[in-house]
Amino acid sequence: MKPALIIVALIALAALLVPPLLPYDHIAIDWDSVRVGLFADGHLLGTDDLGRDRLARLLVGTRVTLSVALAAAMVALVIGVAWGAIAGWVGGRTDELMMRIVDGLYALPFMFVVILLMVVFGRSILLVFLGIGFVEWLTMARVVRGQVIALKQRPFILAAEAAGSPARATLLRHILPNVAGVAVAYLMLTVPHVVMIESFLSFLGLGVQEPLTSLGILVNEGAEEMDMNPAALLLPGGVLVMLIACLTIAGERFRDRLADAAK
Amino acid sequence: MNEGYVVRNLRVCVRDHVIVEDISFTLSPGEIVALAGASGAGKSMSAMTPFGLSAGVASGSAILDGIELVGLPERQLSRVRAENIGFVFQQPLTALTPHRTVRQHLQEAAMQAGGSKPDKTAMVAMLDSVGLSRPEERLAQYPHRLSGGERQRVLIAAALAHGPRYLIADEPVSALDAALRGEIMALLVRLCRERGMAMLLVSHDLAGIEHHADRLLLLEQGKVAESGTARQIATSPATDYGKRLMAATPRLSERLPPLPEMGETLLEAENVHVHFPKPGWGRGRIDAVVDASLTLAKGETLALVGGSGSGKSTLGRAIAGLGSMASGLISWQGEALPLRQRRSAEHRRLIQPVFQDPLASLDPRWSVADIIAEPLRWLVPEAERDDRAADLLEEVGLPRDFATRKPASLSGGQAQRVAIARALSANPEMLLLDEATSALDPLVADGVVALFGRLQRERGLSLLFITHDLALARRAAHRIAVMEAGRIVECAPREELFANPQADATKRLIAASG
Amino acid sequence: MGRLIARRLLTAIPTLLAIIVLSFILMRVAPGGPFDGERPLAPEVRAALEATYGLDKSLPEQVWMYLGRLAQGDFGPSMVYRDFTVSGLIAEALPVSLLIGGCALVLASALGISAGLWAALRAGKWQDEALMLGATLLTALPTFVTGPLLALIFGLWLGWLPVSGQNEGWNWLVLPVVALALPVTGAVAKLARAGLAGELGADHIRAARARGIAPLTILRRHALRPALVPVASYLGPAAAALLTGAVVIETVFGLPGLGRYFVQGALNRDYPLVLGVVTLYAALIILFNLFADLIYGWLDPRMREG
Repeated sequence: MKPALIIVALIALAALLVPPLLPYDHIAIDWDSVRVGLFADGHLLGTDDLGRDRLARLLVGTRVTLSVALAAAMVALVIGVAWGAIAGWVGGRTDELMMRIVDGLYALPFMFVVILLMVVFGRSILLVFLGIGFVEWLTMARVVRGQVIALKQRPFILAAEAAGSPARATLLRHILPNVAGVAVAYLMLTVPHVVMIESFLSFLGLGVQEPLTSLGILVNEGAEEMDMNPAALLLPGGVLVMLIACLTIAGERFRDRLADAAK
Repeated sequence: MNEGYVVRNLRVCVRDHVIVEDISFTLSPGEIVALAGASGAGKSMSAMTPFGLSAGVASGSAILDGIELVGLPERQLSRVRAENIGFVFQQPLTALTPHRTVRQHLQEAAMQAGGSKPDKTAMVAMLDSVGLSRPEERLAQYPHRLSGGERQRVLIAAALAHGPRYLIADEPVSALDAALRGEIMALLVRLCRERGMAMLLVSHDLAGIEHHADRLLLLEQGKVAESGTARQIATSPATDYGKRLMAATPRLSERLPPLPEMGETLLEAENVHVHFPKPGWGRGRIDAVVDASLTLAKGETLALVGGSGSGKSTLGRAIAGLGSMASGLISWQGEALPLRQRRSAEHRRLIQPVFQDPLASLDPRWSVADIIAEPLRWLVPEAERDDRAADLLEEVGLPRDFATRKPASLSGGQAQRVAIARALSANPEMLLLDEATSALDPLVADGVVALFGRLQRERGLSLLFITHDLALARRAAHRIAVMEAGRIVECAPREELFANPQADATKRLIAASG
Repeated sequence: MGRLIARRLLTAIPTLLAIIVLSFILMRVAPGGPFDGERPLAPEVRAALEATYGLDKSLPEQVWMYLGRLAQGDFGPSMVYRDFTVSGLIAEALPVSLLIGGCALVLASALGISAGLWAALRAGKWQDEALMLGATLLTALPTFVTGPLLALIFGLWLGWLPVSGQNEGWNWLVLPVVALALPVTGAVAKLARAGLAGELGADHIRAARARGIAPLTILRRHALRPALVPVASYLGPAAAALLTGAVVIETVFGLPGLGRYFVQGALNRDYPLVLGVVTLYAALIILFNLFADLIYGWLDPRMREG
C-alpha cells in the first residue's frame, strides 16, 4: 500500500507544484521550436506540432484528470453515503424501493448515459464530473447500506437506544463513524475508476475541452503521432496507467486491511 | 495386535506459538474419550492436528493401530483418514458442499475407503439409522433445504458410511439448538456402542458429555489439567481446576442455592403480541410472540427459557422497549410504559439490557469510559461522568484504569463486565439479561452469574434472565417461564416446575437437560 | 428457477422501457438538432424534414410512436446517414461488435479463470502475489492506451498484424480482441482467485479432506463451482466493460462496429441512431445479467429459489 501511495503522491505533487516553475505554460505556443525533440530549447520533453511544451501539458493534464476524479469521487461519496445510510437505517419497504432504484441504474449502460449527457448538455468540465459522480455513487450506496444494516443489528446500537440516545445521535455517533473506514476505502477505489472514465471521455473528445487538457486528450493526440514520436503516446499513457494501478492497489489493500480488522 | 489410538507427549504449534503441550491419552477400541475445557484450551487442536486437519503442526507421537501419524506424508495420512476414521464437525450448516445433494455426499463417503457405490436402499438405511425423517425424499435434496439438526444427522450418516472403527467428533452439538443437543449426543453414543466404534469427543460442555464419556481429559491452556474416568471427575475432581470447573457447571441434579427475598411487583406485561412482516413485498407475517403475559417483582429473577426461535428474546426486547410490539400492555408499578418510540430516557433508565455477544455489544471505536457513560450523557453533567464510569468499573470487578481501553483489547468476560457497567450507569431497577453468559467460557460465565447475584442483593435489582440453559435457570432464578413457538406455555416457581412439570415443552426440555 | 427468471424479466422490461423513454426525452429536449447545420435551412424545407421524422408532434406522441415502431424492430431512419435506416446500420454493425466482444470475453474468461485458480492454489506464495499484482496492472490498462500501443508495436514496428479495418482472414481480429480482453482478464483473474482462496478455507472442503478425497478431486468436485460464483456475478459488468471498450477499439482500429456508429451519432446528434444503439446496449447488458443468473443457479442451488 505504501509504495503505491507514494507514487500517487509524487505524481500529484509534480502536477501541482512543477508547472509554475516551467518557462512555458501548457498553452503558450513557441513559434521558434515547433515539434522539437527532448531537451531542445528549454523544452525538457520537447514540443507538440503546435509548439506547446509537452512537459507542461503532461503535468497540467495530470492535474486536470486528478482534480476531476477527486471532485467526481466526492460527489459519489456524498450521494452514495447518504443514500446507502438512509436505506440501511430506515430499512423495510423504503430500503427495498431505494435499492431497487440502484439495481435499475446498475443495469444502465452508464458510460453511454454519460456520453448522452455530454452530447445533450454540452461539454463542460463541471458536467463531466457531475455526470460521472452521478453514476459512480451506486457502488458506494450498496456498500454503505450493507455496512449500516450489519451495524444496525449489532447489540451496541440497541444498547445506545436503551441508554436513551435519540435515533439521530445514534446514527451520528455510532453508525457513521463505523461506516467511515469502508467509505474511505471505496472512495479510494472510486478515484481510479473515475480517472479511467474521464480519460475515456476526453479521448473521444467528449470530456475536457481545449484550452484545458487532460491525460485522455494527450493519449488521443499521442496516438495520432505515435508512428513518428512514440513518447507522445507512452508518456501520458504511462502516467495514466501508473495512477490507476497505484490508486487501485492502495484502495484494495486498505479495504482488505479493514476487512481483516473486522474479523 | 496393538489396536487403538495412542497419543504420547503431543505438542502442537501454530506458526511459532505452542498451542498444546505434553498431551497423552489412549483411545481403546469401543471406548469414548472426551477432551473438555474452555475455548482456547487446545481441545480441537489436540484432536485434529495429528490427522492433518488443522492449521497446526504436531510433534510427539500419535499412533493409530500401529501407524505413527506424526510426520506421516499427507498422501498416506489421507488414506488413514479415509479408511479408519469418521469425522463430525461443529458447523453442520457449512460442512456440506452446497451444490451437492445428500445422495452425492453419502455416495462419496461410502466409497472413500474403496467400497462399492451404495444403492438407494443402503442409503435410505443410513439416513434411517441417524433418525432422519422421510429419508427417500432427503436423498435428492440440497443441503440448504435441511435444518441444522438434519444436516448434522446427514453428516453423521456420512461419517459412518464407510464403516470406520473410530469417530472423531469436534463439538458435534454445540452449534445446534439446545433442545436438540442431548438427542444428537445420545445418537452418537448409541451408534458408537452399537457398532463397537471408539469415539474421541471434543466439547466445552461438561454437563452434556459427562454421562456419555468413559474417560475425560480436562484441558487448560494447552495442558492436561486433570484426567480420569468421567464418573470420578464429575463426582470428585482431584485438582483445583477440576473442582472449579465442576462447580461452575450447572446441573439439574444439584442442590438448589438460596436466592434473595423478593418485594412487591414492579413489572407487568399483559397479552403481548409481536409479529414481523415476512421479508419482501409479499404479504404475510411471522408471529414471534403470541399473547404472552408475565410479572416481575422487586429483587426477583425470572428466567425465560426456550429453544432458538421460541420468541424469548423478542419478548424481552418488547418489554424493554427495544423492539416493536403489535399489541399488549407493559406497565411499571401500575403505570403503563409507552411503546418503543415514545419511551423517554427516564422510562428507558428503568430496564437496561445486557446482550449475548459481549464484543458486539460495545462500539469498537469508543473508549470503555465513554461506553459506560453513554446513558449518563442524557442524565449527568459531563464533569462527573469519568468518575462515575471508574466507580462502575470497580463495582463490576474491573480495575479503574480500564477506562481508557478500547473494546478490542478486552477479553470476552471483561467486555461483558463493561456492558454490565454501562447498564448500571443508567441506575436501572431491572436488567434484561439476553443469554448474557452463554457466549462465555464456563468459569467466566460462572463469575458473571455470581456478579448478577451480588448486584441483585446490593442494588435490589430485578432480573429477567433469558437463557436456553434450563440447569442455569434453575440455579439462578426464583421462577421459570418456558416459551415455545412464541407462547409462554408454563410459568412456575423453580421447585414446582421441576417437581411437577405441566407442559410438554417443559418435559422435553427437562429430558434434554438430564 | 423458472420463477426466478420470470421475476428478473419482469423487472428487466420496465428498466428497458425507462431507459428508452428517458434517453428519448433527453435527446429531444437537447438544444441543437441534426438540422442545425452551418447554413440555415429554408423554413418550409425544415418543416418538411421535421414532419418526416415526426419532430412536429408532441413529446408523449413521439415517445409512443417510437415505442410502437420499436416493437416491430424498426429503429427509424438515420438522420445523418440519409439513405440508411438505423435498423440497417445496426444489422451491419452488430455482427462485427459481437464477434470482437465475444472473442474477447472467451479469451478473458479462459485466461483469467486459469490464472486466478492457479494463484489461489499458491495463496500467500510469491507466485500468487506476482500474479495478482499483474492482474491489478491489467485492470489499470485502458483500451485507449493499449489499443494504439499494440497497433504501434505489432503493426507499425514489427509489421506482424494489420492495424486497421477488416480483411479476408482472421488476423485483423487479434489486436482489437487482445486490447479489449486485457483489463477484463485482470478482473476475472482477481475474482477467480478470491473465490477459490475463500472456498479452500471453507468447512465443507475440510470435511471432504477428512474423508481422504484426493486434492484434485476435492478441487473439481467440491471447490470449483462455489469458487466461480464471484466470476459469474461479474458477467454483467464485464459485458458493459466490453461494450464500452469496443467503442474505443472500433475507433482506434477503424472497424465498422456499433461503438463507432454510437460515437459518430453522438457527435452528429443523430438521435435515432444513438437511441437505437443505447437501447440495444441496454438490452444486451440486461441479457447478460440474466445469463449470469442462470449460471448462478447452476453454480449454487441456493440461488435457484429467487
